[in-house]
Amino acid sequence: MMLGYYFALALASLRRNVALTALMIAAIAVGIGASMIVLVVYRAEAGDPIPDKAHQLYAVQLDNWGPVRHMVSSSQRGDGLEDQLSYADAVALMRAHAAKRQAAMYATSMTVLPENAQLSPFTVSARATYADFFAMFEVPFVYGSPWRAAQDEAHAKVVVISNKLNQSLFDGANSVGRYIRFAHGVYQVVGVIADWRPVPRFYDLTVGAYGDTEQVYLPFTTAVDGNLAQNENTDCNQNAPGGSRDLQSDCVWIQFWAELPTLQDAQAYRAFLRGYARQQQQNGRFHWAARTSVRDVPQWLQYEGVVSGQVELMVLVAFGFFLVCLVNAAGLMLAKVMEQSTRVATRRAIGADRWAILAQYLTEAALVGAAGGIAGLLVTQLGLSGAGMLFSNDVFRIVRLDGSSISIEMSLAIAATLLAALYPTWRATCVNPASQLKTR
Amino acid sequence: MGPLPTLAELRWNKAGALSIAAQIALALAILCNAMFVIHAQIALMTRPTGIDESDIFYIRSSLIGDQGTWASQEQADVAALRATAGVVDAYVTNSVPLTGAGGSVPISLRPDQVRPNTMAAIYLAGGDALRTLDLHLVAGRDFRPDEIGDFYPSAPGSGRAPGAVIITQALARMLYPDGSALGRSIFIGVPGSSRIVGIVRRLQVPWTSASGWGSNFSEDSVLTPARLIDKNVLYVVRARPGQVPAAEKSAAAALRANDRMRVLDGPYAMKPTRAYAYRDDLGFSIFLAAVTWLLLGVTAAGIVGLTSYWVSRRRRQIGIRRALGATRGAIVGYFLGENLLIASAGIVAGTALTIGLNLWIASAFGMPHIPVGYVLAGIVTLLLLGQLGALWPAWRAASIPPAIAARSA
Amino acid sequence: MLEMKNLSKVYRTEIIETYALRELSMHVREGEFVAVTGRSGSGKTTFLTIAGLLEEATSGEYRLDGVDVRGLSDTRRSRLRNEKIGFIFQAFNLIPELNVAANVELPLRYRRMQRSERQRLASEALERVGLSARARHYPSELSGGQQQRVAIARALAGSPRLLLADEPTGNLDTQMARGVMTLIEELHQEGATIVMVTHDPAIAARAQREIHVLDGQIVDIIEQPRLVGVASGGHATNAS
Repeated sequence: MMLGYYFALALASLRRNVALTALMIAAIAVGIGASMIVLVVYRAEAGDPIPDKAHQLYAVQLDNWGPVRHMVSSSQRGDGLEDQLSYADAVALMRAHAAKRQAAMYATSMTVLPENAQLSPFTVSARATYADFFAMFEVPFVYGSPWRAAQDEAHAKVVVISNKLNQSLFDGANSVGRYIRFAHGVYQVVGVIADWRPVPRFYDLTVGAYGDTEQVYLPFTTAVDGNLAQNENTDCNQNAPGGSRDLQSDCVWIQFWAELPTLQDAQAYRAFLRGYARQQQQNGRFHWAARTSVRDVPQWLQYEGVVSGQVELMVLVAFGFFLVCLVNAAGLMLAKVMEQSTRVATRRAIGADRWAILAQYLTEAALVGAAGGIAGLLVTQLGLSGAGMLFSNDVFRIVRLDGSSISIEMSLAIAATLLAALYPTWRATCVNPASQLKTR
Repeated sequence: MGPLPTLAELRWNKAGALSIAAQIALALAILCNAMFVIHAQIALMTRPTGIDESDIFYIRSSLIGDQGTWASQEQADVAALRATAGVVDAYVTNSVPLTGAGGSVPISLRPDQVRPNTMAAIYLAGGDALRTLDLHLVAGRDFRPDEIGDFYPSAPGSGRAPGAVIITQALARMLYPDGSALGRSIFIGVPGSSRIVGIVRRLQVPWTSASGWGSNFSEDSVLTPARLIDKNVLYVVRARPGQVPAAEKSAAAALRANDRMRVLDGPYAMKPTRAYAYRDDLGFSIFLAAVTWLLLGVTAAGIVGLTSYWVSRRRRQIGIRRALGATRGAIVGYFLGENLLIASAGIVAGTALTIGLNLWIASAFGMPHIPVGYVLAGIVTLLLLGQLGALWPAWRAASIPPAIAARSA
Repeated sequence: MLEMKNLSKVYRTEIIETYALRELSMHVREGEFVAVTGRSGSGKTTFLTIAGLLEEATSGEYRLDGVDVRGLSDTRRSRLRNEKIGFIFQAFNLIPELNVAANVELPLRYRRMQRSERQRLASEALERVGLSARARHYPSELSGGQQQRVAIARALAGSPRLLLADEPTGNLDTQMARGVMTLIEELHQEGATIVMVTHDPAIAARAQREIHVLDGQIVDIIEQPRLVGVASGGHATNAS
């Protein structure tokens, strides 16, 4: 009951000094708005792309280059391990089948030759991988299903296509069983996947962390047969000359993921990898004790440095700005409270205790915070659409002001404003109730 | 009572003064560091590539026919491009600057070196690269026709070092600081050695990131006398000055006329390519600049708001001062002085904060330390902002009539 | 009703101690109308702040309606103020953003009274001061005299045991002042206990008793026979 009263009082008080109120709300709105723009982006960049399997999927690394590697690779991180595997190792690990599920994969592109001869050929992004890819990454299907493991073995000319490609080639009809003519040959459609977009696209960060998923998926074995080149990063060194199309080389160009449901599975797989590396050393391929590594999804994103320094710096600057806005609002609130000291004294004389004054002004602050938060949502929305045009970074195009961001923004605005209001409110409770008798 | 306020007089509204000082301190720290970062970004975005960007465009071509047809198709394409109206020259290659896609090789002075001296971008320059890109030789010569060979990256064992290479001046100086690079041999990570036959003034690597791949060898490029023969190639075309748009249209039409069954990506002129390459950096700079402007606006509004409030609280006191003979100027001076006092306190704290923030940014993002000039500029900006913010309320204070003192409250 | 024994109030700064009240003792009986007079700086305002529980005395004893108020917490004192005292200020001190009815309800709000009860008491109080018709108006729409009547209604609304008036006519012109004084006298006749601080002898003369304060001490108590309005000079020492 009292709360409703404080609410009414706060509204009346805010209406009384419109300029000051507007200034406070504006300060909080731009502060929280700017902060949320970058926070939304940061949350997307630092987000978990596959929450229920984050700790069951592991990226596999193997040191097939040995000591000669310095500065040689674009994918090299601080620990000197490559983040991709060579063809020989990827195929050996696939054959070993030591995990519940596993998939070697690489990004490539395919040229579609439309049935209609009037249309020009066009290129689509493609991923060469194994049947386990779809179950491992929980890829949703509209029609059909993944190809079977036997089709990997048989180098089958089958594809799974995206909903988007299905729209443009088959007008969205169930295309399972139909054929697509690519420059490399004719492939049969076995499945159509629904819109699927992990953010960040953790399974292959060499092609950008926020891009679209591929339009076409085909068996790795078939792609290698067709001499489909790896599109993005192929890394070679003195020990590993050649190119991705040289299957004997030690160039690295293949991502490898394993699904290991329990920690025991992960331990066992680590042991298996170490054994594999030792074996390579024993049979003379490596002249060094090759290190190995498996990292789960969060560790992998951290290792690959998905969150860009620029975004971190923007978060810093935006929250610094928010802090200035809050200090600003606190100063204005203080002025407002001081201006109202007569009224506070009257209320105190009439019998309001300190808590009543505290509650009244904190309610007012919460109201300012909420108004600032709502106006801030507008700022964020405008800012995000502006940033989408400004930045090529795909993350700006995929981030949305979703429910959880909105609630974060609102609670942050209100909490921060309440915090800023603490001192002015405390000052209000200190107003001497006798001051009204003494000012004369 | 002097015309200027004293610290003792500020004590009555410590909190308000503190709030303004804190805002100025924070604003100074953010302003200086943001300006510094923005300038660094602008320097990054305006780095020259060394090529004649205003007249150059490129087209990516992806052939559908099999390997046997590629060489003849490319020859026909380059010939068609050269014959196109408004085109000065054209060649086929793997990459050009600003595209973000290309190859790199380790550069060593000895074949058995474990750790290469540096990395360098590799540009295949079997055709008329120097003339098309408008690169300037500072030493040596262009490739001779007998040095140029076909290069099939898809063929197994294609990795043999070219006999001759042209390198950039930056790379030459890095490898041979005494200036004796010309004529020497280097190793580029594949069997065989390569002799440096020419040095060009400048040719940037294809990657433009401030801190990512390529950032620590951004001027180190190697041109090889290899004619790229592949399914996917890049045609680089130089148009006559001012004729890029027309030449782009006719060049694409010429390629399509040569072979309709292919996928063309482009044409892309270098100017939009540059804009695209640095879009994130531009966006980042715009964001920082926008926040900085908002910050100054909010700080100024806060100063106006609080100073106005102080004036309204002290109307009577001001009236009394006026009645006692203070001039309008003295009243304005009083409030400006008060602001100066508060702002100075903020600036002392802010300078420390600026340096702290910069140290942190420097260590976390690998940026250099902030020059004193930025801090001084920031201090002057905020002092002026404070004075401007206080001026209007001070002026209103000065127009309070002295008669107010005579009225009883 | 109001009983003070040897009350002193000392204001200390770094340099000096100022005695605003010195060993003041007084007694106000239920239903009495007492005026406290004195020159500016005599300590009469300090007396009012202590009587109204706005400040605490430095030493001495004060019982309000039988309650010893020494050492009470802020919340207890606030509640006592709310329940036992009605304030009438010189500057009215109405809350400008609240309308007349809401202003009058204010003390009842802090008593957490039910809405219907609150509204009934407020409208009764407004009726009593003759401003029922103005319940929806805002203070700025009323004349000074009307504003003071609203303030009196606000003081009455909580049925306090004691009305404390601080120069209630100080900000009013003569005619309005006369109206307000008539209202206060009527309230007294209806049984209210009233303590009024004023420096105006003509206003003070309308009280039953006039207590004259000088330098924080009571120097004179004048009983007003109220028949002919002539002050009879019955001198007395400090009442106990």
